[in-house]
Amino acid sequence: MEKYSLLRRAFLKKSALTCTGLMVGLAYEPKCSLAAKVENLEHLGIWIRITPDGKTTFIIPSSEMGQGVNTSLSMILADEMEADWQMIKTETAPVNSDYINPESNSGQITAGSSSVKGFWGPLRKAGAAVKLMLRQAAAQRWRIPVEECSARSGHIYRKNSSQKLSYGEIAEAAGKLDIPFDPPLKKSKDYNLIGRSVKRIDIPSKTNGSAQFGIDVRLPEMTYATICQSPVFGGEVMSYDEAAANKIRGVKKVVIIPNGIAVIADNTWRAKQGMEALNVKFNGGETKGLESKQIKDEFIKALDAEGKTNTEAFNVLDLEYEVPYLSQAALEPMNCTANITENSCEVWVPTQFQEACMDVAKEISELNEEQIKIYTTYIGGGFGRRAETDFVKQSLILSKELGKPVKVTWMREEDIQQGFYRPASMSRFQIGLNKDGFPVSWNNQLASPSILKRFFAPMAWFNVDPLSTEGADEIPYAIDDFNLDYTEVDSGVPVGFWHSVGSSFNAFFIESAIDESAHLAGHDPLLYRLKLLKGKARFQKVLNKVAEKSQWGRELPKGHGLGICLHKTRGSIAGAAIEVSTVNDLLKLHKAWIAIDCGKVINPNTIRAQMEGGFTFGLSATLGEKITIKDGRVEQSNFHDYPILRLKGAPDISVEIIESGEEIGGVGEVAVPLASPALANAIFSSSGKRIRSLPMSNHGIKIA
Amino acid sequence: MRLIIMPLLKINGTTHQLDVEDEMPLLWVLRDELGMTGTKFGCGIGQCGACTVHLNGEAVRSCILPVFSAQGKEIITIEGIGENNPVQKAWIEEQVPQCGYCISGQIMATSALLSKNLKPSESEIENKISNICRCGNYVRLRKAIRLSAKLIQKQGG
Ligand code: FES
Ligand code: FES
Repeated sequence: MEKYSLLRRAFLKKSALTCTGLMVGLAYEPKCSLAAKVENLEHLGIWIRITPDGKTTFIIPSSEMGQGVNTSLSMILADEMEADWQMIKTETAPVNSDYINPESNSGQITAGSSSVKGFWGPLRKAGAAVKLMLRQAAAQRWRIPVEECSARSGHIYRKNSSQKLSYGEIAEAAGKLDIPFDPPLKKSKDYNLIGRSVKRIDIPSKTNGSAQFGIDVRLPEMTYATICQSPVFGGEVMSYDEAAANKIRGVKKVVIIPNGIAVIADNTWRAKQGMEALNVKFNGGETKGLESKQIKDEFIKALDAEGKTNTEAFNVLDLEYEVPYLSQAALEPMNCTANITENSCEVWVPTQFQEACMDVAKEISELNEEQIKIYTTYIGGGFGRRAETDFVKQSLILSKELGKPVKVTWMREEDIQQGFYRPASMSRFQIGLNKDGFPVSWNNQLASPSILKRFFAPMAWFNVDPLSTEGADEIPYAIDDFNLDYTEVDSGVPVGFWHSVGSSFNAFFIESAIDESAHLAGHDPLLYRLKLLKGKARFQKVLNKVAEKSQWGRELPKGHGLGICLHKTRGSIAGAAIEVSTVNDLLKLHKAWIAIDCGKVINPNTIRAQMEGGFTFGLSATLGEKITIKDGRVEQSNFHDYPILRLKGAPDISVEIIESGEEIGGVGEVAVPLASPALANAIFSSSGKRIRSLPMSNHGIKIA
Repeated sequence: MRLIIMPLLKINGTTHQLDVEDEMPLLWVLRDELGMTGTKFGCGIGQCGACTVHLNGEAVRSCILPVFSAQGKEIITIEGIGENNPVQKAWIEEQVPQCGYCISGQIMATSALLSKNLKPSESEIENKISNICRCGNYVRLRKAIRLSAKLIQKQGG
């Protein structure tokens, strides 16, 4: 059943962009849509625009944050419509319900590895429709049947003739035709872009400084602000020295914002100087006096209340695991530029969540949707943090206050201390093993803050949060008696989306626990897993590929260890192995191998990049990242005490892509959760030391 | 408030007369005063390398470099290393950037390193190219540094 259909007419229009030619909009029915939408031009999401000179613009409904989405979605469109790849340009979509990902249930958002997965269907259809219209237009021009017109590389060719027409030449005529309802799609064997390693469209501009990130926005009369929020979460400004700030050259205004204060100046550094002079003091706050130790005690209390399951088996493995809060720490600090006038509101923002930006723009500007424009810039790293709108709201408040465009730029210290963190969590297992060492019962208790209750309070009342339990609720191993209990624990520290969300910790817990079971029984961890994956061909294949590439079972040099793991998330299955060596507590990461089955493959280049980057991101967290709370506030503040893995220490990673032909899966996150268990299992293999809490640096383990 | 000098800065071959405080970091002079936004702000404390520029051919972190100490020196930014620079080419060839935010810094650090030594050892590379890439592009970064050296050699020879 199709979730979408080509509903609207193509139209020819001299648009505000003064282009003529063909513009095709596509609308699909979002899953739960009840009302039919008004069909007017402004509401038509424009996906494809061909101008008479043949330039073809694709409107990309997702934010480009390094995952290569501008390229992969363009490939789908260009392949189906047989466009000339050299003529393609991309633009990020404005806010419009037509750009909502069919996979999304929270509106226009780029999250959950869903862009290619969700748009694969609709975009193919849009591309195919445009191609058919262009062929039809050529057929009319030549007065021949459409079957005699074929499309290739931006041209329509006439059968048995040397005549051809470029897409630009017939775009206008094509624009007068109806959009075909059900255009024929290409067979996969005929793809000329899909499945090939295509170089990313946005990369050249990212090597010469010309790519515009949110932080690079410059407008006439723009002012520069920075903010400081209560380090104790939820606290309020108590006192500040406005006169001292005003003495700093360039400082224009000091403005109170929710839970904090802003200094507006004519330059970011001067705003920062003003902030220092301001000497702001805070009081109150929900986490006042809180210590990390108390949070841990709360977890333990919750787990004790859940209780351990009495397990009767030949042998019982009783385990406890723990992970800390983490910061996304995207390299581009949080920023947003807003310009509110009496009857218009414009926002330039590196955001993953356009719809939420629109909502806060409406709230602060008190204007309506037609008067508001949200421009999505390139994003210098999202990882979930840019699905929040705290920084957007601040720029709107300040622009409204000043009546001028204001760019808010956070200092790194704000970013680290004012997060929506990956929740800290604890997990216990009682695993019953039979006399052969295989699990017959699996009892897992998880205590973790709820990410979703901020959006849907009843989650917490009933102790459910599918994001906290993801990865733990469905394990691939065949175990008859499977139980998972979850208890929500709220310490007041804000939590949110962090690259791969619940999988980021549950994969560590589960893949370590299964490794422990294997070792306890004296089994090889690979063969043990394979046996428990009986009948699960896709999982087995992934694991076997990892084993093959890492030459699992080979004799390792002294002090070396190899760890393996497996995880499924967002419709993709991935496995990893990593080879490490340890001398005392000095760790060296030699090489990692990843295999992924994401069903269908669009661009192997970007899939590989996501595997390499995601795994490296996961390694960084595993090795040394943690957010801890002291006296109600985050102890860390910048990269000196929130260490990110650098080139020194980062292993080479080889990636194998398995195209199973199954339903397309997301690739943006699945490599992240692999890192912790692969590394912990490898360290066990090399040293016999089992790491059950992260980061590794807590155990004295350091990169050599 | 002290306002004595009006720094004269030579950036990418052009001289700029500026009316700024002498302790303003070069980073903010470039970005906010001159609108040269290719040089990025990541941490402000010399940790991440996103703000790397060349000062008399040396890679420096401009977020902690007061503008007065850049006076009279040759400043080169990402905008000034020329189109078709072999290091940029290597970055495109190896498809290094993910979000791309760290890339100006990586390219500036690499070109400074290679301008002195086309055959740096692995440990020299790891120590000199200490830039943070949050997206984790290090697998390709390593390859691109090697390829850059090759391309420079080819160009020179
Ligand atoms: S911004 Fe200069 S080193 Fe990070
Ligand atoms: S590519 Fe995103 S920080 Fe390096």
